[in-house]
Amino acid sequence: MNLRWRLGLVIGFVVLFGWLGIGGFFPEEQRLEAWWLPDEGVRLGLDLRGGIHMVISPDLDVALSQELETLRKDFEARLEDDGITGVSVLVVDESVRLRPSGPADAERIAAEIGDWTFEDVARPTDTEFVVTLTADSRALVRDNAMAQALEVLRRRIDDPQTGIPESVITKQGQDRILIQIPGMDRVPDIFRTTGYLEFKIVQASQPTEALLRAQFPDGLPEGSEVALQYDRETRRILNAFLLPKQPDITGEHLADARVGFDTQRNEWLVNFSWDAEGGRIFGDLTQANVQKPLAILLDGEVHSAPVIQTRISRSGQITGNFTSQESTDLAIILRAGALPIPLKIEEERTIGPALGADSVSSGLQASVAGLLVIVVFMVGYYRLSGGYASVALFANLLLIAGLMSLFEGTLTVPGIAGLVLTVGMAVDANVIIFERIREELRAGRATRAAISAGFEKARWTILDANITTLITAVILFNYGTGPIKGFAVTLSVGILTSVFAALVITRLLYELKPGNRAVAELSI
Amino acid sequence: MPVQIIKPGTRIDFIGKWKIAVALSLVMIVAGAVGVATRGFRLGIDFAGGTEVLVRFHEGVQVDEEVIRTVLGGLDIENPSVIRYGEVADREFLIKFKGERRIEGVELQGDGAVDVRNDRILALDAALSGEIGPHDRQRVEFVGPKVGAELREDGMKAMAIAGLLILLYVGFRFSTRFAPGAVVALIHDVLITASIWVLFGLEFDLRVLAALLAIIGYSLNDTIIVYDRIRENMELRTKHDLVDVLNRSINQTLSRTLLTSITTMAAVLCLLILGGEVVRPFALAMAIGVMVGTYSSVYIAGPTLLWLETRFGETTGPATPAKKQKATA
Repeated sequence: MNLRWRLGLVIGFVVLFGWLGIGGFFPEEQRLEAWWLPDEGVRLGLDLRGGIHMVISPDLDVALSQELETLRKDFEARLEDDGITGVSVLVVDESVRLRPSGPADAERIAAEIGDWTFEDVARPTDTEFVVTLTADSRALVRDNAMAQALEVLRRRIDDPQTGIPESVITKQGQDRILIQIPGMDRVPDIFRTTGYLEFKIVQASQPTEALLRAQFPDGLPEGSEVALQYDRETRRILNAFLLPKQPDITGEHLADARVGFDTQRNEWLVNFSWDAEGGRIFGDLTQANVQKPLAILLDGEVHSAPVIQTRISRSGQITGNFTSQESTDLAIILRAGALPIPLKIEEERTIGPALGADSVSSGLQASVAGLLVIVVFMVGYYRLSGGYASVALFANLLLIAGLMSLFEGTLTVPGIAGLVLTVGMAVDANVIIFERIREELRAGRATRAAISAGFEKARWTILDANITTLITAVILFNYGTGPIKGFAVTLSVGILTSVFAALVITRLLYELKPGNRAVAELSI
Repeated sequence: MPVQIIKPGTRIDFIGKWKIAVALSLVMIVAGAVGVATRGFRLGIDFAGGTEVLVRFHEGVQVDEEVIRTVLGGLDIENPSVIRYGEVADREFLIKFKGERRIEGVELQGDGAVDVRNDRILALDAALSGEIGPHDRQRVEFVGPKVGAELREDGMKAMAIAGLLILLYVGFRFSTRFAPGAVVALIHDVLITASIWVLFGLEFDLRVLAALLAIIGYSLNDTIIVYDRIRENMELRTKHDLVDVLNRSINQTLSRTLLTSITTMAAVLCLLILGGEVVRPFALAMAIGVMVGTYSSVYIAGPTLLWLETRFGETTGPATPAKKQKATA
């Protein structure tokens, strides 16, 4: 190919990637709007734009103990069906333990237990059976817990009222859920509230727990417990209630929940309605307890305790000094249903938008300074050749930005570090070439032959040096999470483009000048 | 006249000083090992698990480290550290503590997932608002013990795999004679960087690991320049004394070795000075690594090659009986 064609091709290439790269930094709405901007673009990582990165997992210990509890109840029912009495059935550690009262019962259980369960049964002594969950059962419990948690969280986030655009919620590995919410610095309620709604008739109430307990010097009545109501803002305790342990009705029977506003009292609230069965239970409950306060609890905390004025069957309201956002969240949570198992936060990295903006500006400063220092150094040391290296460096940056944009890469703080590092390492290739050319010139070769030999002999050194760095970058990409992945991406892309820039673009510039002309001295 | 940092024809006897170089490196590595033995690795929250919260109080709030410590004392938080961040006028503090996120012993009905009553960060937030004043959480990082252990394990694996693959690549490209020397230089660079890190009592976290991996990749750049030249010179003058070939090669590539390090160092220093708090540990580790890498490709990679050749390479090597080495040492 002749020089003109190659030059055209390379310039075209650089311009195309420059357009993609620079255009990729415009905001998305603008990119899709304007015909002269690319549709693809660089995405900013959560550490640059601010946001929440959170890895949660359903608490499997709780899920497993729920499963064992079900198993225990099942055994009790079976024993009752078969008329075997006096057997102690307990959940101990990670097993259900059956202890019949005598050897005769033990033999009957031994004969039957295989039909009762598929789980592993051991008989450490004649009158003891220890049932543990099989590996398959455990896997099933885990998968169910994951599926349920994911479904509830997805329902909450997909609710049209939620209003968190671009949030991500995906499964990670076997037992983790990754949540990413850009532009937020506080985990919204919809991700952290279980949403377990209970209604209980109030037995007694006092402003503090101590006063309430003082009311019962002989201890709290059987089957009751204390629940607290807090001020939503200051977290100070407003009231302490004595309530039955068992709820009279739970959120399970809800048909719908909507945000409402009480214009008389000037406060936000949530209107809810029951399904048919819920309506029946609630109707009976309210009818039997007219003039008594009814505590409404969410996740064990009392939200409000209005006095029942009359029988209510179909619908009701939850109040509790909500802000508009809180009432919206609560309605979403109630609509989506409660989480069946608690969630555990395994990892959280939340960056406020202000800190993200700081990172963008310091990253930009470091990049520009790095670029300037290197250009000044290269031009000062290698003159015209240093200028060539600088041109190649700029082209290199455009190529990196373009590739990032084309593949919708995510730029993170470590990613910017990778970019600055690339700027420093990219000229290494030029240094290797230039030093080699100088050496060839000293050995007495003519300019053109020296350039040619310089490129020829430096090529493999450059490739070797960059391939080893590429190997570590790829490993880092495989290993890294989030921001560190961003470093691996810019580093790998940077290595590829800088080899191209040094071996192709710098070479091309030499062909333009001196090119075929015989020059006495090369500016190097 | 072009600008030159190293005059052509410079002949420094690098190989002759191998004893001093090896001793120096060993001292550094041993010091690092002693540091690890006596003080242990300081692992950051990425690997050890724990919580870091950066808070910025609103204007007009009267606050200092002591006030925050008092508030933290009222919470169920063990050994928190509170450091002022930036200027006094910024009212920014970094609060660090170890341990689980969930406050043990608080059972919420309906298995409440995360709540101010059972979550350390939310409890901390509420206490700071209630007892000191309004603030913004600039950054929250929490890594659970399980994730920390995984990151630690995966990090070790990544380093090992990187080392192995590079051994394979160098072995494939340079024949097995050169590969061990390159890998010795590489391990040397990582060990010394890590030693310096330990001696200064700095924390290891994901950013430092990324830097160590980048050093593994980068440290070879300089070594490869030298080895390429050694290979070339060996082909040209097989009859030559190996010590002479090594010294000649190192001298011939010296300006290149220094210049590539200078340009990379310039970029790394810009990051260190201007890149902000988040990239600082990375930039510092890189800066150390680049310096150590340059030193090792001049002073360590050559002698290692020489040692391997005289020890195992009689049949394959071009020359250099053991007595020659003695003569120069």
